[in-house]
Amino acid sequence: MRTATLDDYKQRLLRVLVHIQEHLDESLSLDELAGLACFSPFHFHRIFKGMVGESVKEHVRRLRIERAATRLKLGAQPVVGIALEAGYESHEAFTRSFRSVFGVSPSRFRASNRRATAAAPSGLHFADGAKIGHFKTVQPGGKKMEVTIVRRGPLRVAFMRHVGRYSTVGKTWDRFLPLAGKEGLLGGGAEFIGLCHDDPEVTPQHRVRYDACVSVDESFRPMGEIGVQVIAGGEYAMTTHFGPYDALGRTYTRLLGQWLPRSGRQLRACPCFEVYLNDPQSTDPKDLITDIYAPLEARLAIFAR
Amino acid sequence: MTKNTQPKIDLYKQHKNEYAAPKKPVLIDIKPALYLAIEGQGEPGGERFQTNIGALYGAAFTIKMTRKFAGQQDYAVCKLEAQWWSDAGPDLSKAPKDQWRWNLLIRTPGFVTEEELRKAAAVLVKRGKGREVEQVRLDSLAEGTCAQMLHVGPYDQECVTVAMMKEFAATKQLEFHGRHHEIYLSDPRRVPPERLKTLLRCPVRPQTARIGPHGLGRH
Repeated sequence: MRTATLDDYKQRLLRVLVHIQEHLDESLSLDELAGLACFSPFHFHRIFKGMVGESVKEHVRRLRIERAATRLKLGAQPVVGIALEAGYESHEAFTRSFRSVFGVSPSRFRASNRRATAAAPSGLHFADGAKIGHFKTVQPGGKKMEVTIVRRGPLRVAFMRHVGRYSTVGKTWDRFLPLAGKEGLLGGGAEFIGLCHDDPEVTPQHRVRYDACVSVDESFRPMGEIGVQVIAGGEYAMTTHFGPYDALGRTYTRLLGQWLPRSGRQLRACPCFEVYLNDPQSTDPKDLITDIYAPLEARLAIFAR
Repeated sequence: MTKNTQPKIDLYKQHKNEYAAPKKPVLIDIKPALYLAIEGQGEPGGERFQTNIGALYGAAFTIKMTRKFAGQQDYAVCKLEAQWWSDAGPDLSKAPKDQWRWNLLIRTPGFVTEEELRKAAAVLVKRGKGREVEQVRLDSLAEGTCAQMLHVGPYDQECVTVAMMKEFAATKQLEFHGRHHEIYLSDPRRVPPERLKTLLRCPVRPQTARIGPHGLGRH
């Protein structure tokens, strides 16, 4: 038996990175990429972003631009053709993108002595035909992240489903809490939980699914718009996020992309959830406290390459 | 569910001057105010204390949300506050903690009624949320002139801040009178003790009696 090491995580991610380089012109689905690395699609994006330092989308875009830069240097191919190959439908859009990466327009770049590689935390660049064998993981910076492994029992919750922008979940809570409140669900130390089925950074905003949940006992039955579900028990990696809700994403990325690969643990294929410890109506956003829970695979499960 | 278009009430913002959190003691005139309250005795943070906090919040949120559901005036549920005293004497820090008495408070708009509280308690008890909620009362406090100061740090070091407040009151020919009152600005579940912010308040009155060299005498 052995535990998943940082090297395992890197090897798994490398399979994805090689695949991306070899299929730069195809549309790459996150599920497919997650599958290549044996990561649960729930968590893959955040692991990728946390380790590589850019999202899959940003990574693919940068590599395409780097490839275009190489083409500009090595041939006399017209810029329009290079733009098309890079996945841009217009010269203007390509120029805009190119300039945001290299700081100059494609034609000026062609005439200059600049290198065809852009800044990348991973040190990974477009490699025409060459195999990539190594990349740098983003080092956890700043204060050490405090993570506790906790065992939770299964938790029965009453919930209302929100589909849409993550930034508007407050509206769903606004409808849910009066209903739950008049039914007497908000007493006796009930927990307020947000269950995130999708990653707001990946899923199109209008389709992000999020459940506003309040813990309930066995006696509660679904009613109207309020459903009941059970949040699985088991081991969770728990870290506390201090501050506004709109910065939660950064803490998720740190937890899954930086802490996790160095933890010797693996994630279970079920959603992360967040427990809100205070009432956002009477608490300053900077004083908000949220516990984030990431579900862990039991220790015995090992990753086989 | 009808929609109430009146803006939500935030009592702390409405009475901002009463929640001033100065680093040095000040005198503030505290107007009478309505609270949801639950009284008890025992160590702070102990089981009974925690259950009572749960009961108080349960009542506060149930009343608020039931009103909101009915389309009535919305308001933010205020932070937790508490009055502390002991039957053993005026200096709480000298009494054993299990003899500390407390009145946990959540400030509530004046329009909340006894009937709403009773209904909220009934619905919570019916849901199996514990009978403690039946002990929650509507309590009106008229504290008048108070010494007030922000305490930053662990709760068990409040005596230092209290001593400063007492000294300050004495310079104004005032003395403490009535229950020590505190307002919890930080959440002790996650905020480390050295960063906890607590607003301390104590009603004062003109010094009446003082023990002089010739015993008890009026000045």
